[in-house]
Amino acid sequence: MIIEIWTKEKYAGNEEAAFIARLAHAGLKVKTARLSRLYRVDADFTKADFSRIASDLLTDNITEHCSLTPGKAGLKSAYRVEVWLKDSVTDVVGESVKEAVADVAGKLPAAVRFGRAYYVPCASELKLKLAVSKILVNEVVNKFKIEKC
Amino acid sequence: MQNPLSNFTSLSEKQLAELDRACGWSLNALELAEVQREFRKMGRQPSRGELETLAQTWSEHCKHKTFSGPVSFKSGSKIKKYKNLFKETIVKATKTLNRKWCLSVFTDNAGIVEFGKNGKWGLAFKAETHNHPCAVEPYGGAETGVGGVIRDILGVGLGAKPVLNTDNFCFGYLDSKKKLPKNSHSPERIMRGVVEGVRDYGNRIGIPTASGGLYFDDGYLLNPLVYVGCAGLIPTDKIDKKVVPGDLVVSIGGRTGRDGIHGATFSSANIEEDTSASAVQIGHAVNEKKTLDVLMRARDLGLYNAVTDCGAGGFSSAIGELGSETGARIRLEDALLKDTRIEPWEIWVSESQERMILSVPKAKLKKLEAILRAESCEYCVLGTFPGDGQLLVTHGEEKIVDLPMAFLHGGVPNFEKKAARRKVKILDGAPLQPAKTYGGLLKEMLAHPNVCSRHSVITQYDHEVQGGTVIKPLQGKYGDGPGDAAVIWPQAATLDLNDFAGFAVTHGFNPAAGKIDPYQMALHTVDEAVRNLLCVGAEISRTAILDNFCAASPRDPEVMGDLVLAAEGCHDAAMAYGAPFISGKDSFYNQSKDADGKEYPIPLSLLISATAPVEDIRKAITMNFKEAGNPVYLAGVSRRGFGGSVYGDMMVAGNNYIAPLDMKAAVKMYTALLKAIKTGCVCAAHDVSQGGLAVTLAEMAFSGGFGAEIDLSAAGREKGLSALELLFGESPSRLVLEVVKDREAEFLKLVKGLPVGEIGYVNEEPSLDVNDSGAPLFREDIFALKKCWKRELI
Repeated sequence: MIIEIWTKEKYAGNEEAAFIARLAHAGLKVKTARLSRLYRVDADFTKADFSRIASDLLTDNITEHCSLTPGKAGLKSAYRVEVWLKDSVTDVVGESVKEAVADVAGKLPAAVRFGRAYYVPCASELKLKLAVSKILVNEVVNKFKIEKC
Repeated sequence: MQNPLSNFTSLSEKQLAELDRACGWSLNALELAEVQREFRKMGRQPSRGELETLAQTWSEHCKHKTFSGPVSFKSGSKIKKYKNLFKETIVKATKTLNRKWCLSVFTDNAGIVEFGKNGKWGLAFKAETHNHPCAVEPYGGAETGVGGVIRDILGVGLGAKPVLNTDNFCFGYLDSKKKLPKNSHSPERIMRGVVEGVRDYGNRIGIPTASGGLYFDDGYLLNPLVYVGCAGLIPTDKIDKKVVPGDLVVSIGGRTGRDGIHGATFSSANIEEDTSASAVQIGHAVNEKKTLDVLMRARDLGLYNAVTDCGAGGFSSAIGELGSETGARIRLEDALLKDTRIEPWEIWVSESQERMILSVPKAKLKKLEAILRAESCEYCVLGTFPGDGQLLVTHGEEKIVDLPMAFLHGGVPNFEKKAARRKVKILDGAPLQPAKTYGGLLKEMLAHPNVCSRHSVITQYDHEVQGGTVIKPLQGKYGDGPGDAAVIWPQAATLDLNDFAGFAVTHGFNPAAGKIDPYQMALHTVDEAVRNLLCVGAEISRTAILDNFCAASPRDPEVMGDLVLAAEGCHDAAMAYGAPFISGKDSFYNQSKDADGKEYPIPLSLLISATAPVEDIRKAITMNFKEAGNPVYLAGVSRRGFGGSVYGDMMVAGNNYIAPLDMKAAVKMYTALLKAIKTGCVCAAHDVSQGGLAVTLAEMAFSGGFGAEIDLSAAGREKGLSALELLFGESPSRLVLEVVKDREAEFLKLVKGLPVGEIGYVNEEPSLDVNDSGAPLFREDIFALKKCWKRELI
């Protein structure tokens, strides 16, 4: 199960502006973008369990909202970039969340991995890929995929 | 195809080289031949585990073969021979000075000096580099660099409590237009990753990161330098450690995995396009914090006889070092693993992070286990230290390593390296007059990457955790002025709130000068570090220093020549300032090719990290102007030359001469100035370094929110020195002081006969007005100057 956590739009201005500036630095100019955090929880839990983990543990309900169906940014003609640490690389955040999930759900998940998603409206997937490889991922430790929303 | 290990002893030189490349050992032909000879003598073929153990034990990272080997240095027609360059320069100075307050030097994971008055505490200090990993994976490389140097402090003596982290970085210019090779990262990307890595590890583990520096030069475009340091407090009765035969080998902290294979041997090679990814990892600060907490509790209960960290080379290096006299019997099947898909030899050399090795008496294991469980810290008992001097490592029935420790640690052959003095054309004529105004130049200089504010980096770090950071990296009325040194009150370690003893930490660094004159660069660098300590009121007669050399390939005689000259400079400076080296490190092969095949060797980069006690932290001073009406003094003589200066980087100066440093005069002046600071006559001091006097005055002014009325007529200067050189030259041994108005007469008595001249006074009006014998040089609004200086670097 992948849980996606979003900063609510009215609080997301700073992180989006910083991200847009970094994209521009890498040669890709866009006007808008959205960002989210991803938690892949490998566990045999019910949907209700996952829902509780998402809203009670992983989301700050004042500034954030969560979703169990990732990929809905509400941006037109956008690409979605999903970035994870490779499975062979230590994921410190994932390990901490794994312990916390066990406290909330009463069962230890097999694994938790932490990642990020970026939603970028742009015309060229190639240009986006180039910018992503310049500023978002290091293929030594990261794996990523780009897909049309 | 036949396994080359099955006939290792009969392989040709070419076949050995191919095997070395395939396995990533970075052993040279002489070393491979020595290994081959030893196994012929033993009458058998080596195992993969044995060759891996030898490769990491004999690596540049572990043995420092370049610096501690013989060198033949050619300068003109003269040749000077060194049997051991390190011992004959750096160590020699420490031995000659023979300071009683040096409690442990060059023998352990860090140097230790006495701290405080009652002889109860020692201050351990160490700086490391993690350059190659940061070039490949900046975030993980920086994180594990910080984790590694903290473990050095945990592994010194029976363990010191870390109280301060330091960080110094060198990157290519962020706006560099140079074309980069396919596999490299942009300097901006590297910087962002490195800063985030240092931030995340230091902040999560709860150690303040409060002292450091940033330096930009396109020589670092493909090889960034990441120096990380750590200081900690240790009870003086916990400095000695000795493995006792019969003790158990206990590993505590992180688990062992396939990550981090070949980190040690990686440091002996230039970075190539296909550099192995397994040589870098992501750190886990929380695991290291658990290890720290266990160690401090177990140390105080005397539950182990010795400890060291698993750094480069992993178990192989740590157990090999601890058992160098006793030998070791290790059962790798007992190791806690992250992943079962791992070869036994990989368990042995893996550099998985956050692991420490303890030598534990059997009778104390139960008590230690109770603490480990209480702190949720994982551990495993790997074997024993038997006392027969043999290293025997097994995995089930399989023998992985069976080698005498004597060969492992004493068998590495060394060969003489050629060194030659680099030819540099020195232009020492009058500098070219710029078309810009002095005020305009100052604004441009304040925005220069090597001068401008570092707040966008510093504010990411928690420099307040532990509650002992007295003089902070950012200072002044607005909390954003550039400090010269950090002052730490380590009450979190001593737990004594009535003892106000502290220590200052700072750095000296000037690779631009090293491109022209490595010897003078070393002198200037030590001088800068001592002067920075003086600026906060530290007891400079008790300065202890660390050397961290980074260089390109030592196979180039000119690179070796630079190293010889800088090492000689280190010796001479240490002697003149009475400042012993207590620890150090070196990193070579910082050289790579760009997309067009052009070589990018880094300039010789010597970081001097310095510490000195502060008797009473309540009397330490900061760099910003404090009160209108106070007189301003310039201490030291301004001399000619734009060599190694920021001005020389910005403009066509037509002069690259570096003024020689008069160390005797500097020490005499600093001693008097320290007295003036300690008696309370001086309320602000700031060194003249990058950017020169004009930058120093501007920084003191805008950090304090005051202007200054300056006339340089009384400034000590070499005959014929132009206003341009006086304002922007970077000759050493100078600092600007703000003297308390009511104490001026007392101050003048203390500095009588020294080159200390009154150059003006602090002004309520927020403008910096600088004249020379009445002739106006510039007048600038301090807030406009600050705006130029306060750039967002990332």
